[in-house]
Amino acid sequence: MNGGTRLLILPLALSPLLPFAVFRANRIAEAEPRSLVAALGGGGAALAVAGLAAMIGALVLARRAQVRTVVAAALVVAILLAMGWAAARLTAGGPPQVRVGPGAGFWVALVSAGLLVVDARARLHPRPAMRLAIVAVAVAIGAAILWSGALSQLSIMQEYGNRSASFWREGARHLWLAFGSFAAAMLAGVPLGIGLTRARRASAPVLGLLTMLQTIPSMALFGMLIAPLAWIAANVPAAHALGIRGIGAAPAFAALFLYSLLPIVANTVVGLTGVPRSVTEAADGMGLTRRQRLTSVDVPLALPVIVSAARIVLVQNIGMATVGALIGAGGFGTFVFQGIGQTATDLILLGALPTVALAFATSAVLDALIGMLPGTAR
Amino acid sequence: MFRTLLLSAAASATLAFAAQAQVVVSSKIDTEGGVLGNIILAVLDNAGIETENRVQLGATPVVRQALVAGEIDIYPEYTGNAAYFFNRPDEPVWKDAAAAYAEAKKLDGEQNKLVWLTPAPANNTWGVAVRRDVAEPAGVTTFSQFGQWVAGGGEVKLAASSEFVNSAPALPAFQTTYGFTLSQDQLIVLSGGDTAATIQAASNQTSGANAAMVYGTDGQIAVSNLVVLQDDKSVQPVYQPAPVIRAEVLADHPEIETLLKPVFESLTLETLQDLNGKVQVDGLPAADVAKEYLTANGLLK
Repeated sequence: MNGGTRLLILPLALSPLLPFAVFRANRIAEAEPRSLVAALGGGGAALAVAGLAAMIGALVLARRAQVRTVVAAALVVAILLAMGWAAARLTAGGPPQVRVGPGAGFWVALVSAGLLVVDARARLHPRPAMRLAIVAVAVAIGAAILWSGALSQLSIMQEYGNRSASFWREGARHLWLAFGSFAAAMLAGVPLGIGLTRARRASAPVLGLLTMLQTIPSMALFGMLIAPLAWIAANVPAAHALGIRGIGAAPAFAALFLYSLLPIVANTVVGLTGVPRSVTEAADGMGLTRRQRLTSVDVPLALPVIVSAARIVLVQNIGMATVGALIGAGGFGTFVFQGIGQTATDLILLGALPTVALAFATSAVLDALIGMLPGTAR
Repeated sequence: MFRTLLLSAAASATLAFAAQAQVVVSSKIDTEGGVLGNIILAVLDNAGIETENRVQLGATPVVRQALVAGEIDIYPEYTGNAAYFFNRPDEPVWKDAAAAYAEAKKLDGEQNKLVWLTPAPANNTWGVAVRRDVAEPAGVTTFSQFGQWVAGGGEVKLAASSEFVNSAPALPAFQTTYGFTLSQDQLIVLSGGDTAATIQAASNQTSGANAAMVYGTDGQIAVSNLVVLQDDKSVQPVYQPAPVIRAEVLADHPEIETLLKPVFESLTLETLQDLNGKVQVDGLPAADVAKEYLTANGLLK
């Protein structure tokens, strides 16, 4: 057992003392706490506590990080399934408006167990391919739990059940906004960065301008783009035909594109100027043309830095695309803002949780990909 | 990657051309926006008019800007908001339902080629709702009666936001007009509180609350057993929802006016509270709530 584990065992062991679930007479009524015994019944609660004790024992005694990873992951799954079970018990026989959601005990247990997985996994020092496999397994387990219907009586899944069609449509829009604007920014930003390393005098003003764009609050930038884009759409038929509008996806796409430029351009410049002089001189000595040197020496060596920027931009875009819902761009933000309007926390979470999961998964995958690049010491 | 970008651009271009003949129906992102937008959409669809669904598009400035710019064709707006669109918030005209509607219709018709269609007889304005088990025995349905009742020693405890309590056009204006005064003991001030919190307080009788600051058509009012006080001396501007349509589109589809008239005339304060409640409290999708209402009342042919 190491320090990290010890630190997390205590909240995990005490979590059964906190209310496991919350009960609402309807989705916006005040939440009433439900203890583990009330949520799972006497026998169920005893079983849950015994299972928890056994798993804590295994975590404390296990020497190998592999075992600890698997046990902690199993604990996460068990906590989720217990929540689904509690929701099914507490909603059974009640009117359809009744909502059951996670309580403080659930969250403490889940976060502790989740951190135990992260802690144990880090001690495995997995190779990049292994890290990708871990992400894939985590996604598969999560999907299996959701598809099995074990959580279907949970409040947030009831929100999903009422909106399953629009959920996937908004999800697709969200992905298109985040990844599309990212792709466009890569296509524009990398060449711009390469250009700036050649025209050094332009470098400071261009990066200064991009930094300034970055400091505009997202809501303001989304709003600021409505008027000029609406004017363009009304006065330039070709732009109108291309789908450019003052509201909807176009201004959101443009704002995300502008935000993406700074990290990409700046990291391209840093990556390229970081290529050791000895290497570039050797390349010149071998008689490579400027173009050959760029494609076969400079860019490959700068790639890890550029891909790090790509990771930052993608995670940032996935999060920021939610704000686009305020200007009609759709995406998961639709549920967040409708939920705020209805003071329905579960609806807010229906938009927020997939966004967070998406950002996490993307970050983990790109992290692993960066580790796979040649020339990175991992 | 470039090729996919070009392809998607071409695809959206064809979409854009196809979309021009359709009536773009929109609404605000809030609960009532979802209900009213879907009602308009269902009525037009049912009449065989080609529509594009942009319901719950965004906040008021976004939808308004989009309508004026011609990016959407029709959405429900509140008469009282015209005061802000035309930057004349302090004029008394907005406090009279018929006059406010006529003024909004005139200004938007002259300046923006927009037509305000028949409004709903519901007023979604800032006010006070009292618990039914308190209001009914006391015989209180209007603010005048409420004022007399409070001045005569009626036991009231109002949950409200600090803005409602302190800003001159809100509670102080009600108190002056209706001749009552609430002491500090009769107020529960929820700083930054929204109507969801105040209604919950009155509903659960938190700290003895039995009245709440509300917007007239809040979806929680009916389920919480509260009664909205009628602002019978017109202290607040009137916020009647009405469909606003671009004149050009109405000229192409003149039947829209007669299609929506009976529908909006049927939307009373209590009906809207009920429909909003189905969305907000029961969590039903606004499109289903709208269709169910229209079908049940024979408003779809």
